[in-house]
Amino acid sequence: MSETILKTTNVSKVYGKHKVLDKVSIEIKRGMIYGLIGENGAGKSTFMRTIMGLITIDEGNIELFGETDTKGLQQARRKMGQSIETPALYPELTARQNLQVQAANGGVSERKIDELLHLMNLSHTGKKKAKNFSLGMRQRLAIASTLMTNPEFLILDEPTNGLDPSGIVEMREIIQRLVTERGITVLLSSHLLDELSQIATHYGILHDGKIISELSKEELARETRQYIELETTDVQQAVVILDQLGIKDYEVINGTEINIYEQLDDVAAINRALVLAEVNVSRIGTSRQKLEDYFLQLTGGIPHAESVSS
Amino acid sequence: MLNLLAAEKIKLFRSKKFWITLSILCLLPIMQVVNSLFAVRNGEELVQVIDTVVNGATGVLMMEKNGLTILLVIGAFSSFFIGEEFQNGTIRNTLSLGRSRTHYYFSKFVIAALLSFVGVLGMTAIGMTSFTAAFGFGGVAEINNYFSYALKTFGTLYVLILANVSVYVMISFLTKNSSFALIWGFLYTIGTGFLPGIFQQTAHFKQVTYWFTESFLFYLDFAKPADIALYSEMVLVSLVTIVLSSAVGIFLFTRSDIK
Repeated sequence: MSETILKTTNVSKVYGKHKVLDKVSIEIKRGMIYGLIGENGAGKSTFMRTIMGLITIDEGNIELFGETDTKGLQQARRKMGQSIETPALYPELTARQNLQVQAANGGVSERKIDELLHLMNLSHTGKKKAKNFSLGMRQRLAIASTLMTNPEFLILDEPTNGLDPSGIVEMREIIQRLVTERGITVLLSSHLLDELSQIATHYGILHDGKIISELSKEELARETRQYIELETTDVQQAVVILDQLGIKDYEVINGTEINIYEQLDDVAAINRALVLAEVNVSRIGTSRQKLEDYFLQLTGGIPHAESVSS
Repeated sequence: MLNLLAAEKIKLFRSKKFWITLSILCLLPIMQVVNSLFAVRNGEELVQVIDTVVNGATGVLMMEKNGLTILLVIGAFSSFFIGEEFQNGTIRNTLSLGRSRTHYYFSKFVIAALLSFVGVLGMTAIGMTSFTAAFGFGGVAEINNYFSYALKTFGTLYVLILANVSVYVMISFLTKNSSFALIWGFLYTIGTGFLPGIFQQTAHFKQVTYWFTESFLFYLDFAKPADIALYSEMVLVSLVTIVLSSAVGIFLFTRSDIK
Protein backbone atom coordinates (compact mmCIF):
# COMPACT_ATOMS: atom_id res chain seq x y z
CA MET A 1 0.00 0.00 0.00
CA SER A 2 1.43 3.42 -0.95
CA GLU A 3 2.37 5.94 1.68
CA THR A 4 -0.21 8.44 2.89
CA ILE A 5 1.02 11.97 2.25
CA LEU A 6 -1.94 13.88 3.62
CA LYS A 7 -4.85 12.76 5.70
CA THR A 8 -7.36 15.18 7.11
CA THR A 9 -10.01 14.07 9.54
CA ASN A 10 -13.09 16.17 10.22
CA VAL A 11 -11.29 19.45 9.59
CA SER A 12 -13.58 22.38 10.36
CA LYS A 13 -13.10 26.13 10.24
CA VAL A 14 -15.59 28.74 11.36
CA TYR A 15 -15.53 32.46 10.57
CA GLY A 16 -18.06 34.17 12.81
CA LYS A 17 -21.26 32.20 12.29
CA HIS A 18 -20.19 30.85 8.89
CA LYS A 19 -18.74 27.36 8.78
CA VAL A 20 -16.27 27.59 5.91
CA LEU A 21 -15.06 24.00 6.33
CA ASP A 22 -17.35 21.37 7.75
CA LYS A 23 -15.69 18.12 8.81
CA VAL A 24 -13.54 17.76 5.71
CA SER A 25 -11.85 14.36 5.54
CA ILE A 26 -9.65 13.32 2.63
CA GLU A 27 -6.67 11.07 2.14
CA ILE A 28 -3.97 11.61 -0.47
CA LYS A 29 -1.47 8.87 -1.18
CA ARG A 30 1.92 9.19 -2.83
CA GLY A 31 1.76 9.66 -6.59
CA MET A 32 -1.84 10.89 -6.65
CA ILE A 33 -2.98 14.01 -8.45
CA TYR A 34 -5.88 14.87 -6.22
CA GLY A 35 -8.30 17.34 -7.75
CA LEU A 36 -10.34 19.38 -5.35
CA ILE A 37 -13.40 20.67 -7.15
CA GLY A 38 -15.79 23.24 -5.85
CA GLU A 39 -17.57 26.40 -6.83
CA ASN A 40 -16.09 29.74 -5.88
CA GLY A 41 -16.48 30.10 -2.14
CA ALA A 42 -16.81 26.36 -1.54
CA GLY A 43 -13.80 26.44 0.79
CA LYS A 44 -11.04 25.10 -1.47
CA SER A 45 -8.48 27.81 -0.74
CA THR A 46 -9.31 27.82 2.96
CA PHE A 47 -8.80 24.06 3.09
CA MET A 48 -5.45 24.36 1.32
CA ARG A 49 -4.37 27.11 3.67
CA THR A 50 -5.16 24.96 6.70
CA ILE A 51 -2.89 22.24 5.31
CA MET A 52 -0.10 24.77 4.87
CA GLY A 53 -0.54 26.05 8.40
CA LEU A 54 -1.55 29.53 7.28
CA ILE A 55 -4.97 29.15 8.89
CA THR A 56 -5.64 27.47 12.19
CA ILE A 57 -8.38 24.85 12.31
CA ASP A 58 -11.17 24.92 14.87
CA GLU A 59 -11.75 21.19 14.85
CA GLY A 60 -10.32 18.03 13.37
CA ASN A 61 -6.90 16.65 12.64
CA ILE A 62 -4.29 17.05 9.91
CA GLU A 63 -1.72 14.34 9.27
CA LEU A 64 1.10 15.28 6.91
CA PHE A 65 3.82 12.77 6.07
CA GLY A 66 2.68 10.87 9.16
CA GLU A 67 3.11 13.87 11.47
CA THR A 68 0.23 15.24 13.49
CA ASP A 69 1.66 17.41 16.28
CA THR A 70 2.50 21.08 15.73
CA LYS A 71 6.26 20.62 15.67
CA GLY A 72 6.06 17.57 13.41
CA LEU A 73 3.70 19.32 11.01
CA GLN A 74 6.07 22.26 10.83
CA GLN A 75 8.90 19.90 9.83
CA ALA A 76 6.67 18.05 7.37
CA ARG A 77 5.74 21.30 5.65
CA ARG A 78 9.35 21.65 4.52
CA LYS A 79 8.58 18.83 2.09
CA MET A 80 5.74 20.85 0.61
CA GLY A 81 5.43 23.51 -2.05
CA GLN A 82 2.46 25.74 -2.69
CA SER A 83 0.97 28.26 -5.02
CA ILE A 84 -2.29 29.66 -3.78
CA GLU A 85 -4.55 31.73 -6.04
CA THR A 86 -2.44 34.53 -7.52
CA PRO A 87 1.28 33.80 -7.99
CA ALA A 88 3.07 35.08 -4.89
CA LEU A 89 6.18 36.81 -6.23
CA TYR A 90 8.34 39.83 -5.52
CA PRO A 91 7.33 42.12 -8.39
CA GLU A 92 10.51 44.21 -8.26
CA LEU A 93 12.79 41.18 -8.54
CA THR A 94 13.76 39.18 -11.62
CA ALA A 95 12.86 35.52 -12.03
CA ARG A 96 16.33 34.50 -10.85
CA GLN A 97 16.21 36.79 -7.81
CA ASN A 98 12.77 35.47 -6.85
CA LEU A 99 14.18 31.97 -6.88
CA GLN A 100 17.21 33.10 -4.88
CA VAL A 101 14.89 34.42 -2.17
CA GLN A 102 13.00 31.14 -2.03
CA ALA A 103 16.26 29.17 -1.94
CA ALA A 104 17.34 31.25 1.05
CA ASN A 105 13.95 30.81 2.73
CA GLY A 106 14.22 27.07 2.36
CA GLY A 107 17.89 26.95 3.25
CA VAL A 108 18.78 25.16 0.01
CA SER A 109 21.48 25.70 -2.59
CA GLU A 110 20.97 28.06 -5.54
CA ARG A 111 22.37 25.44 -7.94
CA LYS A 112 18.93 24.41 -9.14
CA ILE A 113 17.94 27.88 -10.32
CA ASP A 114 19.17 27.49 -13.91
CA GLU A 115 17.58 24.07 -14.23
CA LEU A 116 14.22 25.35 -12.95
CA LEU A 117 14.29 28.44 -15.14
CA HIS A 118 14.91 26.13 -18.10
CA LEU A 119 12.21 23.69 -16.99
CA MET A 120 9.66 26.49 -16.75
CA ASN A 121 10.82 28.12 -19.97
CA LEU A 122 11.93 31.28 -18.18
CA SER A 123 15.64 31.22 -19.03
CA HIS A 124 15.23 34.07 -21.49
CA THR A 125 13.71 36.53 -18.98
CA GLY A 126 17.10 37.95 -17.92
CA LYS A 127 16.75 41.24 -16.08
CA LYS A 128 13.02 41.56 -16.71
CA LYS A 129 11.20 42.13 -13.44
CA ALA A 130 8.41 39.79 -12.38
CA LYS A 131 5.92 42.66 -12.43
CA ASN A 132 6.38 42.84 -16.22
CA PHE A 133 5.73 39.12 -16.76
CA SER A 134 2.56 37.79 -18.37
CA LEU A 135 0.22 35.87 -16.06
CA GLY A 136 1.37 32.59 -17.59
CA MET A 137 5.01 33.46 -16.92
CA ARG A 138 4.18 34.45 -13.37
CA GLN A 139 2.34 31.18 -12.81
CA ARG A 140 5.33 29.27 -14.13
CA LEU A 141 7.71 31.27 -11.97
CA ALA A 142 5.53 30.64 -8.91
CA ILE A 143 5.72 26.91 -9.58
CA ALA A 144 9.47 27.13 -10.15
CA SER A 145 9.68 28.91 -6.81
CA THR A 146 7.81 26.11 -5.06
CA LEU A 147 10.16 23.55 -6.65
CA MET A 148 13.27 25.26 -5.27
CA THR A 149 12.98 23.34 -2.01
CA ASN A 150 12.51 19.91 -3.69
CA PRO A 151 8.96 19.36 -2.49
CA GLU A 152 7.43 15.90 -2.42
CA PHE A 153 3.95 17.31 -2.19
CA LEU A 154 2.68 20.26 -4.18
CA ILE A 155 -0.44 22.28 -3.47
CA LEU A 156 -1.70 24.32 -6.40
CA ASP A 157 -4.79 26.43 -6.05
CA GLU A 158 -6.45 27.08 -9.40
CA PRO A 159 -3.12 27.10 -11.29
CA THR A 160 -4.82 27.72 -14.64
CA ASN A 161 -6.94 30.61 -13.42
CA GLY A 162 -6.80 33.49 -15.87
CA LEU A 163 -4.60 31.67 -18.39
CA ASP A 164 -5.36 31.54 -22.10
CA PRO A 165 -6.00 28.12 -23.72
CA SER A 166 -2.36 27.58 -24.68
CA GLY A 167 -1.32 28.60 -21.17
CA ILE A 168 -3.77 26.09 -19.69
CA VAL A 169 -2.38 23.29 -21.85
CA GLU A 170 1.18 24.30 -20.95
CA MET A 171 0.37 24.36 -17.23
CA ARG A 172 -1.29 20.95 -17.47
CA GLU A 173 1.79 19.53 -19.19
CA ILE A 174 4.06 21.01 -16.55
CA ILE A 175 2.06 19.44 -13.73
CA GLN A 176 2.00 16.07 -15.47
CA ARG A 177 5.72 16.26 -16.06
CA LEU A 178 6.36 17.03 -12.38
CA VAL A 179 4.39 13.97 -11.39
CA THR A 180 5.94 11.58 -13.90
CA GLU A 181 9.53 12.86 -13.84
CA ARG A 182 9.88 13.91 -10.22
CA GLY A 183 7.32 11.71 -8.51
CA ILE A 184 5.63 14.66 -6.86
CA THR A 185 2.21 14.18 -5.28
CA VAL A 186 -0.17 16.99 -6.18
CA LEU A 187 -3.27 18.50 -4.64
CA LEU A 188 -4.80 20.98 -7.03
CA SER A 189 -8.07 22.78 -7.08
CA SER A 190 -10.35 24.14 -9.72
CA HIS A 191 -13.96 25.08 -10.10
CA LEU A 192 -13.94 23.33 -13.50
CA LEU A 193 -14.32 19.57 -13.30
CA ASP A 194 -13.81 19.28 -17.03
CA GLU A 195 -10.37 20.86 -16.72
CA LEU A 196 -9.36 18.74 -13.73
CA SER A 197 -10.57 15.55 -15.40
CA GLN A 198 -7.74 15.86 -17.90
CA ILE A 199 -5.09 15.60 -15.25
CA ALA A 200 -6.33 14.38 -11.86
CA THR A 201 -6.28 10.76 -10.74
CA HIS A 202 -8.63 11.29 -7.82
CA TYR A 203 -11.33 13.81 -7.07
CA GLY A 204 -12.90 15.37 -4.03
CA ILE A 205 -15.97 17.49 -4.55
CA LEU A 206 -16.27 20.28 -2.04
CA HIS A 207 -19.57 22.04 -1.63
CA ASP A 208 -20.48 24.54 1.09
CA GLY A 209 -17.40 23.48 3.03
CA LYS A 210 -18.25 19.77 2.91
CA ILE A 211 -16.75 16.95 0.88
CA ILE A 212 -19.88 15.59 -0.79
CA SER A 213 -18.17 13.01 -2.97
CA GLU A 214 -14.76 11.41 -3.43
CA LEU A 215 -14.02 9.28 -6.44
CA SER A 216 -11.21 7.95 -8.58
CA LYS A 217 -10.64 8.75 -12.25
CA GLU A 218 -12.19 5.40 -13.19
CA GLU A 219 -15.24 6.00 -11.03
CA LEU A 220 -15.71 9.43 -12.53
CA ALA A 221 -15.41 8.01 -16.02
CA ARG A 222 -18.03 5.42 -15.15
CA GLU A 223 -20.33 8.02 -13.66
CA THR A 224 -20.08 10.33 -16.62
CA ARG A 225 -19.73 7.98 -19.57
CA GLN A 226 -22.06 8.00 -22.52
CA TYR A 227 -24.63 5.24 -22.94
CA ILE A 228 -27.78 4.25 -24.85
CA GLU A 229 -30.88 4.69 -22.80
CA LEU A 230 -33.58 2.19 -23.73
CA GLU A 231 -37.12 2.40 -22.40
CA THR A 232 -39.34 -0.59 -23.09
CA THR A 233 -42.37 -2.38 -21.62
CA ASP A 234 -40.68 -5.76 -22.20
CA VAL A 235 -37.29 -5.71 -20.54
CA GLN A 236 -36.87 -9.51 -20.54
CA GLN A 237 -37.32 -9.83 -24.28
CA ALA A 238 -35.14 -6.77 -24.90
CA VAL A 239 -32.31 -8.41 -22.91
CA VAL A 240 -32.59 -11.54 -25.08
CA ILE A 241 -32.26 -9.42 -28.23
CA LEU A 242 -29.27 -7.53 -26.82
CA ASP A 243 -27.59 -10.86 -26.07
CA GLN A 244 -28.29 -12.01 -29.61
CA LEU A 245 -26.67 -8.78 -30.88
CA GLY A 246 -23.56 -9.66 -28.89
CA ILE A 247 -23.97 -6.72 -26.48
CA LYS A 248 -22.54 -7.59 -23.09
CA ASP A 249 -22.03 -4.24 -21.34
CA TYR A 250 -25.49 -3.19 -20.34
CA GLU A 251 -27.37 -2.61 -17.12
CA VAL A 252 -31.03 -3.18 -16.30
CA ILE A 253 -31.97 -0.15 -14.30
CA ASN A 254 -35.56 -1.05 -13.45
CA GLY A 255 -38.62 -2.78 -14.95
CA THR A 256 -38.70 -0.46 -17.95
CA GLU A 257 -35.17 0.89 -18.44
CA ILE A 258 -31.90 -0.53 -19.69
CA ASN A 259 -28.63 1.36 -20.11
CA ILE A 260 -26.37 0.05 -22.86
CA TYR A 261 -22.70 1.04 -22.64
CA GLU A 262 -21.35 -0.28 -25.95
CA GLN A 263 -22.11 0.01 -29.67
CA LEU A 264 -23.07 3.63 -29.06
CA ASP A 265 -23.00 4.38 -32.78
CA ASP A 266 -25.48 1.59 -33.59
CA VAL A 267 -28.61 3.00 -31.97
CA ALA A 268 -30.56 2.58 -35.20
CA ALA A 269 -29.48 -1.07 -35.64
CA ILE A 270 -30.37 -1.92 -32.05
CA ASN A 271 -33.73 -0.21 -32.45
CA ARG A 272 -34.41 -2.11 -35.70
CA ALA A 273 -33.50 -5.46 -34.09
CA LEU A 274 -35.81 -4.78 -31.13
CA VAL A 275 -38.71 -3.71 -33.35
CA LEU A 276 -38.27 -6.72 -35.64
CA ALA A 277 -38.45 -8.94 -32.54
CA GLU A 278 -41.71 -7.16 -31.63
CA VAL A 279 -40.23 -5.53 -28.53
CA ASN A 280 -42.18 -2.41 -27.75
CA VAL A 281 -39.62 0.43 -27.66
CA SER A 282 -40.99 3.52 -25.93
CA ARG A 283 -37.78 5.48 -26.20
CA ILE A 284 -34.19 4.92 -27.29
CA GLY A 285 -31.37 7.38 -27.53
CA THR A 286 -27.89 8.24 -26.41
CA SER A 287 -27.63 9.84 -23.06
CA ARG A 288 -24.61 11.57 -21.78
CA GLN A 289 -23.83 13.22 -18.53
CA LYS A 290 -21.22 15.87 -19.09
CA LEU A 291 -18.67 16.36 -16.35
CA GLU A 292 -19.98 19.78 -15.48
CA ASP A 293 -23.55 18.47 -15.37
CA TYR A 294 -22.44 15.66 -13.13
CA PHE A 295 -20.80 18.19 -10.85
CA LEU A 296 -23.88 20.39 -10.83
CA GLN A 297 -26.07 17.40 -10.18
CA LEU A 298 -23.97 16.53 -7.15
CA THR A 299 -24.01 20.07 -5.85
CA GLY A 300 -27.71 20.49 -6.52
CA GLY A 301 -27.46 22.60 -9.68
CA ILE A 302 -28.94 20.28 -12.33
CA PRO A 303 -30.91 17.28 -11.08
CA HIS A 304 -30.92 15.07 -14.19
CA ALA A 305 -28.60 14.00 -16.94
CA GLU A 306 -28.89 15.40 -20.41
CA SER A 307 -30.75 13.05 -22.72
CA VAL A 308 -30.58 13.13 -26.50
CA SER A 309 -33.25 11.18 -28.27
CA SER A 310 -32.56 9.82 -31.67
CA MET B 1 16.41 32.38 11.41
CA LEU B 2 19.70 32.84 9.52
CA ASN B 3 18.06 31.51 6.36
CA LEU B 4 15.27 34.05 6.75
CA LEU B 5 17.79 36.83 7.25
CA ALA B 6 19.66 35.71 4.13
CA ALA B 7 16.40 35.95 2.17
CA GLU B 8 15.69 39.37 3.67
CA LYS B 9 19.14 40.55 2.61
CA ILE B 10 18.46 39.65 -1.02
CA LYS B 11 15.13 41.50 -0.93
CA LEU B 12 16.57 44.49 0.91
CA PHE B 13 19.49 45.24 -1.37
CA ARG B 14 17.25 45.10 -4.43
CA SER B 15 14.54 47.20 -2.83
CA LYS B 16 14.17 50.76 -4.04
CA LYS B 17 12.54 51.67 -0.73
CA PHE B 18 15.70 50.67 1.12
CA TRP B 19 17.91 52.94 -0.98
CA ILE B 20 15.38 55.79 -0.88
CA THR B 21 15.21 55.53 2.92
CA LEU B 22 18.99 55.54 3.27
CA SER B 23 19.30 58.42 0.80
CA ILE B 24 16.82 60.56 2.73
CA LEU B 25 18.58 59.88 6.02
CA CYS B 26 22.00 60.64 4.53
CA LEU B 27 21.02 63.70 2.50
CA LEU B 28 19.15 65.34 5.37
CA PRO B 29 22.28 66.48 7.32
CA ILE B 30 23.83 67.89 4.12
CA MET B 31 20.72 69.95 3.47
CA GLN B 32 20.72 71.08 7.09
CA VAL B 33 24.36 72.16 7.08
CA VAL B 34 23.75 74.14 3.89
CA ASN B 35 20.69 75.69 5.51
CA SER B 36 22.70 76.57 8.63
CA LEU B 37 25.48 78.10 6.51
CA PHE B 38 22.97 80.33 4.75
CA ALA B 39 21.47 81.32 8.09
CA VAL B 40 24.88 82.29 9.48
CA ARG B 41 25.75 84.20 6.30
CA ASN B 42 22.49 86.10 6.71
CA GLY B 43 23.65 87.26 10.12
CA GLU B 44 21.83 84.72 12.30
CA GLU B 45 23.61 82.95 15.13
CA LEU B 46 23.27 79.22 15.68
CA VAL B 47 22.04 78.41 19.20
CA GLN B 48 22.38 74.85 20.44
CA VAL B 49 19.13 74.83 22.43
CA ILE B 50 17.16 75.86 19.34
CA ASP B 51 19.17 74.49 16.43
CA THR B 52 20.37 71.35 18.33
CA VAL B 53 23.35 70.84 16.00
CA VAL B 54 25.65 73.84 15.78
CA ASN B 55 29.07 72.27 15.15
CA GLY B 56 30.80 68.94 14.56
CA ALA B 57 30.64 67.91 18.23
CA THR B 58 26.90 68.44 18.47
CA GLY B 59 26.54 66.55 15.20
CA VAL B 60 26.04 63.47 17.38
CA LEU B 61 22.61 64.94 18.11
CA MET B 62 21.43 64.58 14.49
CA MET B 63 18.90 61.96 15.65
CA GLU B 64 17.45 64.42 18.14
CA LYS B 65 17.35 67.18 15.53
CA ASN B 66 15.59 64.95 12.98
CA GLY B 67 13.64 62.71 15.35
CA LEU B 68 10.23 63.10 13.70
CA THR B 69 11.60 62.76 10.16
CA ILE B 70 13.55 59.63 11.05
CA LEU B 71 10.49 58.05 12.64
CA LEU B 72 8.22 58.87 9.71
CA VAL B 73 10.72 57.64 7.12
CA ILE B 74 11.53 54.40 8.94
CA GLY B 75 7.86 53.94 9.80
CA ALA B 76 7.00 54.20 6.10
CA PHE B 77 9.78 51.77 5.17
CA SER B 78 8.62 49.20 7.74
CA SER B 79 5.01 49.52 6.59
CA PHE B 80 5.92 48.76 2.98
CA PHE B 81 8.61 46.20 3.73
CA ILE B 82 6.28 44.09 5.86
CA GLY B 83 2.86 45.04 4.48
CA GLU B 84 3.79 44.09 0.91
CA GLU B 85 4.70 40.58 2.02
CA PHE B 86 1.07 40.13 3.03
CA GLN B 87 -0.33 41.94 0.00
CA ASN B 88 1.84 40.08 -2.54
CA GLY B 89 1.18 36.82 -0.72
CA THR B 90 4.93 36.17 -0.51
CA ILE B 91 4.67 35.60 3.23
CA ARG B 92 2.93 32.32 2.34
CA ASN B 93 6.03 31.15 0.47
CA THR B 94 8.02 31.36 3.69
CA LEU B 95 5.48 30.26 6.27
CA SER B 96 4.22 27.30 4.24
CA LEU B 97 7.77 25.93 4.37
CA GLY B 98 7.16 25.39 8.05
CA ARG B 99 9.18 28.40 9.14
CA SER B 100 8.38 29.64 12.63
CA ARG B 101 6.23 32.74 12.68
CA THR B 102 8.20 34.05 15.64
CA HIS B 103 11.42 33.73 13.65
CA TYR B 104 9.77 35.42 10.69
CA TYR B 105 8.64 38.29 12.92
CA PHE B 106 12.11 38.68 14.40
CA SER B 107 13.79 38.55 11.00
CA LYS B 108 11.69 41.54 9.92
CA PHE B 109 12.42 43.36 13.17
CA VAL B 110 16.15 42.70 12.85
CA ILE B 111 16.15 44.06 9.30
CA ALA B 112 14.19 47.17 10.32
CA ALA B 113 16.55 47.65 13.28
CA LEU B 114 19.64 47.25 11.10
CA LEU B 115 18.31 49.64 8.49
CA SER B 116 17.59 52.18 11.23
CA PHE B 117 21.08 51.70 12.64
CA VAL B 118 22.82 52.11 9.31
CA GLY B 119 20.58 55.07 8.48
CA VAL B 120 21.12 56.98 11.72
CA LEU B 121 24.81 56.07 11.79
CA GLY B 122 25.19 57.49 8.29
CA MET B 123 23.15 60.53 9.21
CA THR B 124 25.21 61.17 12.35
CA ALA B 125 28.55 60.60 10.60
CA ILE B 126 27.63 62.86 7.68
CA GLY B 127 26.18 65.42 10.11
CA MET B 128 29.33 65.50 12.24
CA THR B 129 31.61 65.65 9.19
CA SER B 130 29.68 68.32 7.34
CA PHE B 131 29.09 70.52 10.41
CA THR B 132 32.78 70.17 11.30
CA ALA B 133 33.68 71.29 7.78
CA ALA B 134 31.29 74.23 7.99
CA PHE B 135 31.62 75.37 11.59
CA GLY B 136 34.55 73.45 13.06
CA PHE B 137 34.33 70.57 15.52
CA GLY B 138 34.00 72.75 18.64
CA GLY B 139 32.57 71.06 21.71
CA VAL B 140 29.50 70.50 23.83
CA ALA B 141 29.02 72.81 26.79
CA GLU B 142 29.66 71.22 30.20
CA ILE B 143 30.90 67.96 28.65
CA ASN B 144 34.43 67.00 29.59
CA ASN B 145 34.73 63.48 28.23
CA TYR B 146 33.29 63.95 24.75
CA PHE B 147 34.00 60.43 23.47
CA SER B 148 32.06 58.81 26.32
CA TYR B 149 29.26 61.35 25.97
CA ALA B 150 29.01 60.80 22.20
CA LEU B 151 28.85 57.03 22.56
CA LYS B 152 26.21 57.17 25.30
CA THR B 153 24.16 59.79 23.45
CA PHE B 154 24.26 57.95 20.15
CA GLY B 155 23.35 54.66 21.85
CA THR B 156 20.50 56.19 23.83
CA LEU B 157 19.06 58.05 20.85
CA TYR B 158 19.26 54.89 18.74
CA VAL B 159 17.49 52.82 21.40
CA LEU B 160 14.75 55.46 21.54
CA ILE B 161 14.38 55.22 17.76
CA LEU B 162 14.50 51.42 17.94
CA ALA B 163 11.59 51.36 20.39
CA ASN B 164 9.48 53.14 17.79
CA VAL B 165 10.72 50.80 15.06
CA SER B 166 9.53 47.91 17.20
CA VAL B 167 6.07 49.49 17.42
CA TYR B 168 5.99 50.06 13.63
CA VAL B 169 6.88 46.42 13.04
CA MET B 170 4.09 45.36 15.39
CA ILE B 171 1.61 47.65 13.63
CA SER B 172 2.65 46.28 10.21
CA PHE B 173 2.15 42.69 11.34
CA LEU B 174 -1.22 43.48 12.87
CA THR B 175 -2.63 45.48 9.96
CA LYS B 176 -1.15 43.13 7.28
CA ASN B 177 -1.43 45.95 4.79
CA SER B 178 1.13 48.62 3.91
CA SER B 179 -1.41 51.46 3.58
CA PHE B 180 -3.11 50.75 6.90
CA ALA B 181 0.26 50.24 8.56
CA LEU B 182 1.39 53.59 7.17
CA ILE B 183 -1.67 55.39 8.51
CA TRP B 184 -1.59 53.73 11.95
CA GLY B 185 2.16 54.21 12.21
CA PHE B 186 1.75 57.87 11.39
CA LEU B 187 -1.09 58.24 13.91
CA TYR B 188 1.02 56.49 16.56
CA THR B 189 3.98 58.80 15.90
CA ILE B 190 1.87 61.94 16.01
CA GLY B 191 -0.21 60.69 18.94
CA THR B 192 2.66 59.67 21.17
CA GLY B 193 4.58 62.74 20.06
CA PHE B 194 1.95 65.22 21.14
CA LEU B 195 -0.20 63.47 23.74
CA PRO B 196 2.58 63.43 26.37
CA GLY B 197 2.80 67.19 26.01
CA ILE B 198 -0.87 67.37 26.91
CA PHE B 199 -0.41 64.88 29.75
CA GLN B 200 2.29 67.14 31.13
CA GLN B 201 -0.32 69.85 31.59
CA THR B 202 -2.66 67.66 33.63
CA ALA B 203 -2.35 66.65 37.26
CA HIS B 204 -3.65 63.08 36.83
CA PHE B 205 -1.67 62.02 33.76
CA LYS B 206 1.53 63.94 34.39
CA GLN B 207 3.41 60.80 35.45
CA VAL B 208 2.44 59.09 32.17
CA THR B 209 4.39 61.63 30.11
CA TYR B 210 7.66 59.74 30.19
CA TRP B 211 6.14 56.36 29.55
CA PHE B 212 6.53 57.19 25.87
CA THR B 213 9.92 57.16 24.18
CA GLU B 214 8.99 60.08 21.98
CA SER B 215 8.60 62.35 25.00
CA PHE B 216 12.34 62.01 25.55
CA LEU B 217 13.14 62.31 21.88
CA PHE B 218 11.03 65.41 21.22
CA TYR B 219 11.05 67.35 24.48
CA LEU B 220 14.47 66.86 26.06
CA ASP B 221 17.81 68.40 25.22
CA PHE B 222 20.50 65.78 24.94
CA ALA B 223 23.23 68.35 25.46
CA LYS B 224 21.86 69.40 28.87
CA PRO B 225 23.40 67.59 31.90
CA ALA B 226 20.02 67.32 33.67
CA ASP B 227 18.54 65.50 30.68
CA ILE B 228 21.68 63.45 30.11
CA ALA B 229 21.15 62.13 33.62
CA LEU B 230 17.90 60.54 32.37
CA TYR B 231 19.67 58.27 29.84
CA SER B 232 19.20 55.14 31.94
CA GLU B 233 15.48 55.90 32.30
CA MET B 234 15.24 56.44 28.53
CA VAL B 235 16.90 53.09 27.83
CA LEU B 236 14.60 51.37 30.32
CA VAL B 237 11.43 52.86 28.78
CA SER B 238 12.74 51.93 25.31
CA LEU B 239 13.50 48.34 26.29
CA VAL B 240 10.09 47.95 27.93
CA THR B 241 8.47 49.31 24.75
CA ILE B 242 10.47 46.90 22.58
CA VAL B 243 9.62 43.90 24.75
CA LEU B 244 5.95 44.79 25.08
CA SER B 245 5.36 45.63 21.41
CA SER B 246 7.25 42.52 20.25
CA ALA B 247 5.37 40.31 22.68
CA VAL B 248 2.00 41.69 21.57
CA GLY B 249 3.00 41.56 17.89
CA ILE B 250 4.26 37.96 18.04
CA PHE B 251 1.32 36.81 20.19
CA LEU B 252 -1.25 38.15 17.75
CA PHE B 253 0.68 37.28 14.57
CA THR B 254 1.16 33.65 15.58
CA ARG B 255 -2.57 33.35 16.16
CA SER B 256 -3.75 35.14 13.06
CA ASP B 257 -4.85 33.61 9.77
CA ILE B 258 -2.86 34.43 6.64
CA LYS B 259 -5.11 35.02 3.66
